[in-house]
Amino acid sequence: MWQLFKRERMWTARPLKDRYEVVIIGGGVHGLATAYYLGKLGVRDVAVCEKGYIGSGASGRNTAIIRSNYRTPEGVVFYDESVRLYEELAAELGYNVLFSQQGHLTLAHTDSAVNGLRVRAEVNQLMGVESRLIWPPEIKRLVPAIDVSSRPRYPILAALYHAPGGIIRHDAVVWGYARGADRMGISIHPFTEVIGIGTSNGQVTSVQTTRGTIRAGTVVNATAGFCSTVAKLVGLKLPIVTHPLQAFVTEPLSPFLDKVIVSANLHVYVSQTDRGELVIGSEIDPYSSYSYKSTLPFLEATAAHTLELFPCLRQVRVLRQWTGICDMTPDYSPIMGEVPGLKGFILDVGWGTYGFKAGPVSGKRIAELIVTGNTPDVLKPFSITRFWEGRLAGEKAAAAVSH
Amino acid sequence: MKDSRLPPHPAQRVNRGKPITFTFEGRAIHAYDGETVAAALYAAGVRTFSRSFKYHRPRGLLCVAGRCPNCLMEVDGTPNVRTCIEPARQEMRVRGQHAWPSLERDLFACFDKLDRVLPVGFYYKTFIHPTWLWPTYERVLRRLAGLGRLDIAREPEGHGEHVHLHADLAIVGGGPAGIAAALEAARLGVEVLLIDDGPTLGGHLQWQLLPSEGEQPGYALALNLADLVRGEPRIRHLAGATAFGLYEGRLLGVMQGEHLIKVRAQRIVVATGGFETPLVFQNNDRPGVFLGDGLQRLMTLYGISPGRRALVIANADRGLRLARELLAAGIEVAAVADVRSEPHSADGQHLREAGVPVLSGHTVLEVRGRKRVEAAALVSLDSAERPSPGSEKTVECDLLALATGWEPASALLAQGGARLDYRADLGGFFPAELPSWLFAAGEVRGAQGLGAIQKDGRLAGLKAALSLGAGDARDRALAEALQEDANPPPSIRPIVSVPHPKPKRFVCLCEDVTEKDLADAIQEGFDHIETLKRYTTLTMGPCQGKMCHRASIGICAALTGRDPSQTGTTTARPPLKPVPLGVLAGPHHEPVKLTPIHHLHASLGATWMDMGLWKRPLVYTSVEEECRVVHQGVGLIDVSTLGKLDVKGRDAAQFLDWIHSNRFSDLKAGRVRYRVMLDDAGIILDDGTVARLGEDHFFLTTGSGSLELVEQWLEWWLAGSDRCLHVTDVTGALAAINLAGPKSREVLARLTDLDLSPEALPYLAAVQGTVAGIPVLILRIGFVGELGYEMHFAAEYGDYLWETLREAGREFDILPFGVEAQRVLRLEKLHIIPGHDTDALSNPLEADMAWVVKMDKPDFIGRATLARVKARGLRQRLVGFEMLTPVVPGEGDAVVADGLPVGRVTSAKWSPVLGRAIGMAWVPPDLAVDGGHLQVKCDGQVCRGRVVTKPFYDPEGKRLRS
Repeated sequence: MWQLFKRERMWTARPLKDRYEVVIIGGGVHGLATAYYLGKLGVRDVAVCEKGYIGSGASGRNTAIIRSNYRTPEGVVFYDESVRLYEELAAELGYNVLFSQQGHLTLAHTDSAVNGLRVRAEVNQLMGVESRLIWPPEIKRLVPAIDVSSRPRYPILAALYHAPGGIIRHDAVVWGYARGADRMGISIHPFTEVIGIGTSNGQVTSVQTTRGTIRAGTVVNATAGFCSTVAKLVGLKLPIVTHPLQAFVTEPLSPFLDKVIVSANLHVYVSQTDRGELVIGSEIDPYSSYSYKSTLPFLEATAAHTLELFPCLRQVRVLRQWTGICDMTPDYSPIMGEVPGLKGFILDVGWGTYGFKAGPVSGKRIAELIVTGNTPDVLKPFSITRFWEGRLAGEKAAAAVSH
Repeated sequence: MKDSRLPPHPAQRVNRGKPITFTFEGRAIHAYDGETVAAALYAAGVRTFSRSFKYHRPRGLLCVAGRCPNCLMEVDGTPNVRTCIEPARQEMRVRGQHAWPSLERDLFACFDKLDRVLPVGFYYKTFIHPTWLWPTYERVLRRLAGLGRLDIAREPEGHGEHVHLHADLAIVGGGPAGIAAALEAARLGVEVLLIDDGPTLGGHLQWQLLPSEGEQPGYALALNLADLVRGEPRIRHLAGATAFGLYEGRLLGVMQGEHLIKVRAQRIVVATGGFETPLVFQNNDRPGVFLGDGLQRLMTLYGISPGRRALVIANADRGLRLARELLAAGIEVAAVADVRSEPHSADGQHLREAGVPVLSGHTVLEVRGRKRVEAAALVSLDSAERPSPGSEKTVECDLLALATGWEPASALLAQGGARLDYRADLGGFFPAELPSWLFAAGEVRGAQGLGAIQKDGRLAGLKAALSLGAGDARDRALAEALQEDANPPPSIRPIVSVPHPKPKRFVCLCEDVTEKDLADAIQEGFDHIETLKRYTTLTMGPCQGKMCHRASIGICAALTGRDPSQTGTTTARPPLKPVPLGVLAGPHHEPVKLTPIHHLHASLGATWMDMGLWKRPLVYTSVEEECRVVHQGVGLIDVSTLGKLDVKGRDAAQFLDWIHSNRFSDLKAGRVRYRVMLDDAGIILDDGTVARLGEDHFFLTTGSGSLELVEQWLEWWLAGSDRCLHVTDVTGALAAINLAGPKSREVLARLTDLDLSPEALPYLAAVQGTVAGIPVLILRIGFVGELGYEMHFAAEYGDYLWETLREAGREFDILPFGVEAQRVLRLEKLHIIPGHDTDALSNPLEADMAWVVKMDKPDFIGRATLARVKARGLRQRLVGFEMLTPVVPGEGDAVVADGLPVGRVTSAKWSPVLGRAIGMAWVPPDLAVDGGHLQVKCDGQVCRGRVVTKPFYDPEGKRLRS
């Protein structure tokens, strides 16, 4: 509360040194969380290089849905740890990240989708995550505004109800981590783009930035949207295709929707923020691109699908639309950990449409990896080597569209 | 209260001969046709039109153009309606929102006193401890949040259409610049689409009672210009149409009433002018503070007297003109405070002659009055734009008219790829570089004064037309000549705020963000315009930044010691005006595919299921009965939903070998074979059959929901290759019926002369012949595990053959069966359904279908991955299982070992013929042993099952081959 009356800087501008122990590329939730947890483990000689302002990439463009109702046991364990960290994050950082654990419903409109939800419900329950199948009467009770009648082309048949899921103030998470890292002496360098990475004998030695060269033995690629171009700086080819993902927000309305609603069949998801705006998004655009331009066909299709679920929203107005870009892996799971043959280069990439959900856990575990040199168990299924060995982590069914 | 309507005037849009009555918070309001809701309310004495987002301060009309958030009300159940542009209609119901019990007396107004404990971002700094209390705090916050209340029980109807328009040249903005551009381009023979958001053309001229240049008053000039446009057949005018976004591919999103118009134009001229923005000073949000042109619109277009005595605040000649317009409308002007040291235009002299004091170097410091403007404090500014001590003077007034800020409406240009640069002389961002197809004209480009605006419009129209190949050398010369004339130097002193220690100096009206909030945020480190926006929520409210964009850049620049060009702008995101979801959705129709036999299924009382776009009968009578009939007698099922592809060409056989994991080049004509299609990762995409009809001619069937995928997949691999073949989708052209069961041969024999004996037409044979007088392709295959004939024939005969087969089978008690029975029957045979029993990680080796993978072929899609899978060994297996207890697991239930999920059930049904629950499941290889035990978690209980790897029913396939 005392903070209310203080005007302390959240983070400070520090000079760019020519040497750091660790350089993190990317000043979003992943990079800043990694910096923060490194600091907690005593590693403070760290620089976070961000090409824009902090949180300007995917961290500021995602729709801030947090959940752990994934499909594979390894995915569930991983994201569940993240949800738990998010639950404690406001207290941890002394900064309210407005985590609204309102509950999350994934709707099914076809029988095969119902089966897919049942798979997730069962795996979730067995892994200790609250998640269950519910049917239209209960859906209507939880979400009075939704149309569960048989009138729509694809009526709602069932939903996966995941009570711990919710939404968060994504910028606040970024700022909170930045402040926490900054207070431990970690340097945050916005408007510092990495344009080269130096290596020698299979070991990372430096990064070149638009503001000068920095020597460092450990470099973390914590970028989103451009992770493959950054990896290319060390000659590493990632199995990633980058697609745009769009969303829009409506005018504020007095809150009437206190559940996150996701429909994979209709390619739409809807939530209402604490300020009253509806945040509505869709699946990734079908084409690959690095463009941040928003499109009209997206607005048309997503509006139509939203009205299938919520016919009462017909006269509600769209205020603005925006676009982010997502690094998609073939199995819709991230790539984390060391790269065989290149010491000191650590990946925290391939975050597709689910990166924000995992910010705290990846930051914490990547920091642990850097400090101990051992890959934590929760990261092991997500190693880059899985693509070389044909050992994919199949989250496509649970991660695609299901934000 | 006395009616405050002005006498009729030709500039008014109101028909006083047509009265209207509507209700506002239960009270009857008298209006006239052509008035807006807000105009009528204002005439009836309403001054508080809304309550602000955070502090619940009273807010009155400000822009009278549908831009600012001040007039949002609930109209006929729709929240957040901009009443200043919403036409008044008979019997409409209007209510205030975000206030209790009423707009005039709102108890939440106490928040206005709490600004010290509710600073910017207060919610980030509070409610942190104890953590368990946060959900309660959040509930309270949510109760206070939002603006209008949505009636979730109401489902408004939609009448809007989606329209596509194409034009050589689209011009956005029907003011003097846009009209000049349109007339000029049309003169050169170009077809022009003129898009304007007002009901009538003329832009800002329409609310000018005085002549700009020459003799003619603005409104009369507007009428003349509109006549010129009407007389030009090459111009199509879209009235009341808002261009809300310029998207890639020169696509303009335009909203016209409930319609969405998608305009694609070769060239686009943006002549959108600009709009006024407020000045930041203490109590700048009090009802009675107006943007100057808003005040003019209220007076001139709607004939409403806005008040008694106005004080005009100016920073450019337009403010002096505003004062003269007020005088012309009969409003007393107390004074004009012009922040410039030396007012330039002749209007100043006019005003002095009319007895209006013009105070140079002065501006407004503060508005006084508790609920509305009662007086204003003026102050003179020194050269550093600080108030000079002791210069304060108070002026009594009930109106404060601001002509102090103006911003070009350049968002469409930015979206179209224009570079906008800051011009210090005009205090705004103007286009500096444009793509070759995009033009800017008039005020949005910085033109000042009517003559310059019109000339600039002509030039843009001319350049656009010339770039389309119209015009001749004379026109090119004219364009050169117009280009050369320079604009007169502007006389503006751009200011955005007047320093003052008091706290209620609003930058953002939507979210109640004050200048102090911005200063605090910048002090906390949010010193980049984008982080400042995200932290303070500046520009993120219903006005989309129109009211605060300019001021926030100026203040951010001043507080961070940078100039506005370094500060930059936030991104101009579409839509530029809020667009209802219903307009965007339009008359959305999800397609439904119905088979030619659909109506007969309906008459049989079938229950339906969705499969892809198709509707399919799930059950007719009962699953038990339908299964029994197929096993013991004969049944028929409509399989018209199967995707059907005709593949023809010299390279067809070799292509099919490449696309599939098994081989077709050795398939003999007159034979049919199962097909499985994989992606490059060896994942099963689809299955079906391939029948060879001739040397170079094949007939493929696909799953009901996967036709599009398969066709695209084939076309993808064909594209750019020199293979000689054609793939033709014949799905809609053909109906298909599967006749199945031990008696099916006898039924079919009655309708055909074909030799149906097992020797002549064995299992997996394909034959074309005549059945019941129509040409039919018969495939002897058996998805459901009994003797069966899948017949493909012209869709027109769908219901005929269905009824004929039922008639021929009457003595065998033939019955139709649905998808549910089909799924039980195929499960008894362990036939998989891709996408149901497989997912994005299922390959045929692990799906127990190694027999369909021919690794000895030269190459096929997915082969490389399967070779790796073979080398590394199987990690999971798809097996059949039967339950040892009479429980049918749910499809998707987990297979568990030691309490952890190790696999999942993909299919599970009760088999009437076996008398037990059977299914298929993915399990780890060590569990995939015939007869091995399996634990399945059903409904919270762990139930036991047994692995079965051979088909449950007729494992040798004798019945199939009979």
